[in-house]
Amino acid sequence: MRADLARALILLLAATPLAHAGNWSVIHEESLLGFTATQTGSEFSGRFEDFDADMTFHADDLDASAFDVTVDVTSVDTGSADRDSTLADKPWFWFEEFPRARFETKRIEHKEGDSYEAVADLTIKSNTHEVTLPFTWTRQGDSARIEGKATAVMQGGLSMDRTRWEVGTGEWSSGDTVGRQVDVEVDLLLKHEG
Amino acid sequence: MRPSRAKKMRLRNTSSNWGTIAKAFHWLIALLIITNLGLGYWAEGLAVSPTKVEAFYWHKSIGLTVLWLALLRLLWRFTNPSPRLPSDMSGWERALAHTSHVLLYVLMIAMPLSGWVIHSAANFPLDLYGVFPVPDIIPASADESAVGDLAKAAHYWMFITICGLLALHVLGALKHHIVNRDTVLRRMLPFSRASDPIRGE
Repeated sequence: MRADLARALILLLAATPLAHAGNWSVIHEESLLGFTATQTGSEFSGRFEDFDADMTFHADDLDASAFDVTVDVTSVDTGSADRDSTLADKPWFWFEEFPRARFETKRIEHKEGDSYEAVADLTIKSNTHEVTLPFTWTRQGDSARIEGKATAVMQGGLSMDRTRWEVGTGEWSSGDTVGRQVDVEVDLLLKHEG
Repeated sequence: MRPSRAKKMRLRNTSSNWGTIAKAFHWLIALLIITNLGLGYWAEGLAVSPTKVEAFYWHKSIGLTVLWLALLRLLWRFTNPSPRLPSDMSGWERALAHTSHVLLYVLMIAMPLSGWVIHSAANFPLDLYGVFPVPDIIPASADESAVGDLAKAAHYWMFITICGLLALHVLGALKHHIVNRDTVLRRMLPFSRASDPIRGE
């Protein structure tokens, strides 16, 4: 009986960090997960309105730091109903089959000052490729506290070739009409939960 | 005699003939409009594809070109005399010619403008000739889909109208040439001259 109780306690303690989903939580109203791409040579930008970010970050313990972000790709908004409805189709994100994308870090390295690099697996349409996301993590001062809790700003970005993830297949894959390069921008406001 | 021939190439209109500039406007805009009518009609029927996106890129580029060329052309027209219509035309013929030409000018400007509204409502990016960013021309507060739908309907009906007007324009010119045997068609031809003898006179 006592052994069972101890085991249950251990399980509970072990499970606690997962239940908390990291020691930082994203303030969604103040955050952006966006991208910029090109169409007939001109830039347009979009964003994903819905994403779940499990963010664990300790500047002094990067081995214990990790980001696990699940993006609801069906929440994409490029400000154009025509374009957004096309993105839902099979050659692009194929919402029906692949409504989620995932960014899961494998390691986070310190560069200098507030600069870091996250090496992560990015999965879109069941294609997984390793990417490197350079980012800054800046602790905000006491005046920027939210609900009495410390805040931080995470900003980063990376360029990707969309065709590696089969986003824009077939006749779209040449990149002549819609460029293959997509610049992803991350700008998150986070609240310390730890 | 050679030097005097060169002088006959006039830039400005006279009371009996179109100058080189007016002719250049006419034929350049005619070419662009006919190309764009065909291109727009064809592209509208395509399924979403790179070809469709590219086709509309060119459709928009050509349409905006027509818009600013038409504005320059109007300016030129208002600062130049227009050649007189043949004196044997009846009142209703003059009225029809006048009205159809006014309508053509209106559509040369209104069609690209309505297309620009459709483009703005769709929120697609466009750099004219790959250089000049084209701004949106509908107010930020507008209900984009409602404004876009209205502009699409207008664009469609103007398409029907301009096709009819162009047919009338061509038939009218041919009637002047073949039936009336006057200079109305010939004087708009690229290399005709004011002093060229008129057939049958």
